[in-house]
Parts: sequence; structure tokens; C-alpha cells
Amino acid sequence: MASTITTPVEGSTGAPPPAQRMRNRPAWASQHLGTALIGAVGGYAFGHWIGNVIAAGYTVPQSNGQNDVAVVLGLSLGALGYLIGIGAFNYPIAKMFGREPLPEVAEEGWQRFFRFNLDHKVVGMQYVIVSLLFLFTGGLLAMAIRTELLNPTNHIFGAGTYIAVVGEHGTIMMMMASSVVIGPLGNWLVPLMIGSRRMAFPRVEATSVWLFSAGYLVILTALPLGGFPTGWTGYAPLQNQSTAGMDSYLVGFAIIGMGMILAGLNLGATIINYRAPGMTWGRVPIFVWSVLATTALLVFATPTLVVAGLFGVLDRTALTAFYVNEHGGSSFLWENLFWFFGHPEVYIMALPGFGIVGEILPVFSRRPLFAYKVGAAGMLGVALLSFFVWQHHLFQSGINPDMRPLFMLTTELISIPTGFIFLVGLGTLWKARIRFEPPMLFALAVYFNFLIGGVTGVFLSDVPVNVTVHGSFFVLAHFHYTIMGGLIFAFFGGLYYWLPKMTGKTLNRKLAIWHFWIMFIFFNLTFFPMFIIGLLGQPRRVFEYATRLQGLNDFSSVSAYILGSSFLIFAFNFVWSIYIDPKRAESNPWGSRGLEWQVPTPVPHYNFERLPVVVADPYRYDEPDQGVADFGTFGDPALSPGAAPGERVPHGHVQSSDDSGDFDPRPPII
Amino acid sequence: MATPVANFKETPEEIAYELRAAEGAAWIGSRSLIGVGAFIYASLAFAYFYLRSANQAQLWRPHHVTAPTELGAAIFALSAATAALSMYGAYRFRRGSVVDWEVAGWMGLLLGALGFALQIYELTRLPFYPGSSGYASTFVGWGALNLVGLLGGCYWLETLLARSLRLRRAVAEDGGAANSTLPAARLFRASVEGCTVFWGFLAIVAVCFWALFYLV
Repeated sequence: MASTITTPVEGSTGAPPPAQRMRNRPAWASQHLGTALIGAVGGYAFGHWIGNVIAAGYTVPQSNGQNDVAVVLGLSLGALGYLIGIGAFNYPIAKMFGREPLPEVAEEGWQRFFRFNLDHKVVGMQYVIVSLLFLFTGGLLAMAIRTELLNPTNHIFGAGTYIAVVGEHGTIMMMMASSVVIGPLGNWLVPLMIGSRRMAFPRVEATSVWLFSAGYLVILTALPLGGFPTGWTGYAPLQNQSTAGMDSYLVGFAIIGMGMILAGLNLGATIINYRAPGMTWGRVPIFVWSVLATTALLVFATPTLVVAGLFGVLDRTALTAFYVNEHGGSSFLWENLFWFFGHPEVYIMALPGFGIVGEILPVFSRRPLFAYKVGAAGMLGVALLSFFVWQHHLFQSGINPDMRPLFMLTTELISIPTGFIFLVGLGTLWKARIRFEPPMLFALAVYFNFLIGGVTGVFLSDVPVNVTVHGSFFVLAHFHYTIMGGLIFAFFGGLYYWLPKMTGKTLNRKLAIWHFWIMFIFFNLTFFPMFIIGLLGQPRRVFEYATRLQGLNDFSSVSAYILGSSFLIFAFNFVWSIYIDPKRAESNPWGSRGLEWQVPTPVPHYNFERLPVVVADPYRYDEPDQGVADFGTFGDPALSPGAAPGERVPHGHVQSSDDSGDFDPRPPII
Repeated sequence: MATPVANFKETPEEIAYELRAAEGAAWIGSRSLIGVGAFIYASLAFAYFYLRSANQAQLWRPHHVTAPTELGAAIFALSAATAALSMYGAYRFRRGSVVDWEVAGWMGLLLGALGFALQIYELTRLPFYPGSSGYASTFVGWGALNLVGLLGGCYWLETLLARSLRLRRAVAEDGGAANSTLPAARLFRASVEGCTVFWGFLAIVAVCFWALFYLV
């Protein structure tokens, strides 16, 4: 006996289930991005009005005209209205009346990307869209920064505007980077890679992406509210002294943080519980290991950011004094709380990038992943150690000098598990016949870039060097090499690798290769000179600099423009190949053994017609006859005589790249 | 156009496998939630000890000012009582008495909601300004976080109680919510267990911060 995945509430009457009725309403009456934006505007207006009512008599708004209570309530209720408008609270409210979850609905068409959708593949694509919005907005702000730095003394912006643009750029990029892999690729791929039909908590997952987009809207409001002068790190006491743009920073970061926590909760529970039969920990794909390590950081490090933001908001609205030295608080408290999140955040960004590279290398070198277990252990080691290094950001402030050697040591220790991950990659490439396809080019570039970023990181962990180059362009170049050179290159590698599966369309290879080379060359030409600029003494976040550094700055700026244009190639390729001149992608164009490539394209709503029984890890490229999984025996005695549910089946059938139709109906080879 | 997922059949083995996964997810989810809460309250505790040891401008706690002790004790007692009732209810539930769990749950919900209301009331009756000292600031921070914790715990408990009422008829012929093998009952039990552990966590937090803010 079998049952359908949905249990229509009113199926017996023939009426469509409530979720479907909601979708079938006319556009003005259903819930989508439009209603979410209306909710956001309404929520903001209501919150702002309430704030004015509460704080109109307070001394602070009367003296400087700035009512942070109104702004914070406006932004918070605006975000709440946005979530209500999209439908994120429909089920939590229904649950208070004891109702069951509504049945899952498989939606078609582009509208599903603008609704509260429970399909992890739709959520993944929603994350792609929002992440690219973040990336292009932050990129435009970067172009503005580089334009200002073309000349050391003639200015386009005022000093306040410049620092506001720098802060907005940094914050938007960090928000984006914290979710750019976990969100799009983690949500889209993890269930497929572990052989699951669904996420553990699909509503939590869907809420996380809408929180992510709400955070984008909130942080955008910082500029019209006057910006914030602190840069992305939001240091007190400047935090307490700045204008209302700081409220956008604090509320925006808290919203993004909540989304990150929810995403981590869901992905962690999914990986631990929803692995297919036979998907033992020794067979879990390396990308999934990287996501699992990252979820630990999301769940345990991000709450500190949310609390730190709450304290900042309380300081600015309820007039507490967490970060006010003169009233019993301490500005260093913010530094500690922020960096307790902030340094694991670096690995929230880096680890999934390593995971992507670990997936790509074996496919394009046709070699097993070298020392797979060492790689997985390295990722867990990095995640664990990342909680013990935050004070290296405080070497010059807020730390007992006697503690410096300890945190210097812990910081340097982290290079050991990172080195594991590097060696896994190099071992895989050793004596391999490499196919230089676009995903592989990006993966190799990650190693080149991250090597420079990592080695300079070791320098920076040493107290004497840190003291010398602190707050200079050297530090800026270092973290751009690790985050952009590592994570963003890995992200694009992952997009070129998995987009054919995600969209069912083939991206133009020539354009992809042009994109890679321009991005790679001009990334290095943009950021490598910044190491020199920093060593020569140019500080970050300052728009006037020594005239002798103009040549290097101009070189960097011009390179940055070309680097920026490389993203336009990607955007053009994406739109051209997906929408204007689409070419159908093969089911498994790269010949990968990954489980996600063994399902048809487009991937069905339920992922797998039968739950796969995994029989081997996905990296055995040296054993072409070894199957990965069995796609027809689980729970089907007719196909698997004598096999108990979940029992390992000795031989498997792997669909080849030309199996582009429906599920292979053939019984597996036994 | 939306269509329900049609023509897709799961085998009983697959349903059983995914049900076990869902039960495991409830276990992991509730423990992860406690992990999130632990780091939230640990951040507050860090702030407490950091500001206390820094004692900037001698303004950690001038004149040993204290928040209203009676109100604080009442809030702590209500949180602890809710946790105790949840645990007792869960104990009776495991022994098959759903009604005992429901009575304990409604009582616990009432006490939890009362604690929530008292916490708001206490924040309006503080004998110090929020920014007058490090102690005052961290106390206001504790009040805000405690409200979030109590609200979350009460919401979880209320949804389970409401679900229990609706589930009663559906599982009546299968041994009731405590014994039924139906998927809805099994997931319900997993959620009851998670909620109970979460309230236990809230009670531990309440003890710790009650000691920090009122006793030390």
C-alpha cells in the first residue's frame, strides 16, 4: 500500500487544498512579493507612528530631532509586515489553533520564485536571486569607492558620504557572503546530495530566505537615513553617536542573523536525520560536510551577533549603557561580542567554498577525492577552532597584552586544519588529467587566491605585524583575497557547475571562460597592489591619502572597473542562456558521480521517485564499474528480493549522462 | 498555476523511514534551539561579567542597587513552576495519561503567561534608569531576553495543547496521543518531549540569572 505525499485536507469533497486555493486567488488577493512589500511599508509606517507616540516627549528626540525609537520600531515592524505579507506567519498562526500543516503544493512558473514556497529547490533559486542582488548592489558601491580614490585630494563625495558608502558596501557584502553558498547551493543541493526528498523544516527554510531579503531592504534604508560611520564592524562608541543609519545597520544585521540561525537549524537537522539508507558518514559528500560544519557556526556563533545588536538597539532607544564607558558600560564589550561572531563568520563564508571546490576537483580530474576523511576532519577542526581566535581582532585594543600570545597561537593553529583542506585538493590534482572547464577554472583560482589570502593571514596573526599594518589597506587586501578570492570564486564555480542541473539550461561556455579570465586577472590586479598600498601606510576608510600613492590607487581603480565588468558578462550569460536562447542541459553534463546528478533534469518536485540506497561514496572515479546508489529497491520487495528496508544492496545502478528522461524503470543490477 | 503533488506514491517503508527522520529532526531541532538559546544567554552572561569586572567609572553597581526582588523572585518561581509542570505532565504523558499532561500544560501555560506579564511589569517599575549603571543595562537586557524566551516557550506549549485537542478524535481508536502509532501522534510526542526539555532549559537560565541579579 502506498500513500501520496500530500494529504489533501478536503480531498474527499474534491475541493482543492487551502494552500492551492490561496495560490489560485486573483493576484491582488494572494500572497506574494507585492503583498510583502505592502506589508513592509504598512509595518514601517505603523511602527514609526508608534515610536513617535512613545518617544515624542523624550529629551533626546527633542534635542536633536532624531527619534531612534521610531526608526527602530519602523524597521522592525516593517520586516514583520514583510513576513506577514509573504505568508510566513500563516502556519505559525494556524498552529495556535491546532491545525496540521497545509499540504505541499508543487507550483510551476516564474511566480513561485516570488512566493513563500516550501520546495527547497525554489528556496535555493530565491537565494540565488537575492544573493546576486546583494552582490551587484555591493559591487556598485565598490565602484563608487574606487572612483573616489582615483584622486588623493579632489573629491566626488564628502567625507561623511564616503564613509557611509564604505560602511554600506562592507555590510552588504558581509551579509551576502554569510549566506551566498549556504543559501543558494546549500538549500538547493543538500537534500539531493544526501538522498532526501525534503528538508527537515521546510517552513523554517523558507522563512530564512525571506528574512535574508528583508535584511537587504533594511540595510538599504541606511543610506537615506544618513548612513553609518563605523564601517561594517559597527564599533562603539561611534555606534552610539551616529545618526539613524546606524539603526538600519543594527536591525538589518539582527534580521540577517536570525535568518542565518534558521537556515543553520534546518540544514543541520536535515543532514543528520534525512540521509538516505546507506548514506553513512563516510559517504557524505564533502560539500555536505562543509555545510554541516558551517551550520554549527551558524547556530552557535550567530546568536551572539543578534544579542550584540539587541544591546546596541537598547543603547540607542531605551538608553541603556552597554557600550557607553561613562555610564558603566564598555565599548570593548561590543568588540568582544561582535568578533565572537565575526571570526567564525569568516569560516561561515570560507568553509562552504572549500566544500564546492572539493566537489568540483574530483569530477574534472577524474580522480577520487584525496584523503576525504582528512578533508572532513579539517572542516570540523576549522569550525571548532574558529571559536577560540576572536581576540586577535583586539590585539591593539580591549585585550590584556599578556593574552596576545595565546590568541596568536590559536589563530596560527587554525592554519593546520585549513592546510588539511588545501592538501586534500592538491592530492586530488596530483598526476591528474585535468579538464579545464569553467567550474574547474574557478576552483583552481580559489586555491591560488586563498593561498595569498591565507599566507597573509598568518602574517596578520603575528602580533608585531598586526600592530604594524592594523587598519591599513594590507588588511583590506588580505580579507578580499580570502572572501572574494576564495568564497566568491567558489560560488561562481559552483554556479557554473550546478546551474545546468538547477535550471535545466546550459550556460554559454565561451562567455563563462571570458568571465573567468577577466575576473581572475583583474581581481588580482585590483587587490594585490593594495598589499603594497597598505605597507606604504594608506589607512582604510579614509578618502584622502598621500599623493605618492596615487599611481597604485589609480591602477587598482581601473582594474576594479574591469573586474566589475566581468560580472556583467556573467549576468549577460545568465540571461542569454537561460531566457533568450536556452539550450537544454544534459542530465549529467560533467559525468559526475554525485547523487544530485543521478536524477532527471528538471529535478522532480519530490526529487527521487524511490529513496536511493547508497552503496558507495561519490568520488570513486578510479572504479568506473562501482555504482553510487540503487534507485529502485528501497521498500520494494519486487525489485529487491530479500532485502530489508534500508539494507545495503551489493551492486548499484548509476544513471549515465545521457539518461535524460524519466527515472530509469529498469530493476538494478543484482 | 499551482497543482498538488499528484501521482507520486511513497511506499510504506519510505513513509516509515521519513517518519523516523522527522522524529529525529524534532529531537535535533529542539536541542539545536537550546544551543541557540544557550549562546544567547551566554552572551548576556559575558556582558554581565565583563562590565562587572571592568567596573567603568565605578559604575557597575553603585550603592548595590537591585531590581525589585519580590517581582524577580515571582518571575523566577513562575518560570520554574512552568518547567516543573511541563516535566510532570510529560512524565504522566509517557505513562499514557494525556489528560494529566493537558491539565499540567494549561496550568503551566497560565503560569508562564503570568511570568511574561510580570516581567513586563517589572521593567516598568525599576528603581534605576536603564543607563545608570552596568548592572542596570544588563538587567534591562535580561528582561528583554527573558521576555523572548518566555514568549517562545508559551507559544510552543500552547500550540501543542491546541494540537492535542484536535488530535484527540483522530487517534482515539488507536490508543490516544500517548500510545498511538499514527504518524501525527508520533510527531506530537516528539514535539512534547522537545518542548519539555526547552522549558527545563528556560528554568535553568532563570535560576542562573536570578542568582546573578538578585543574590550576588
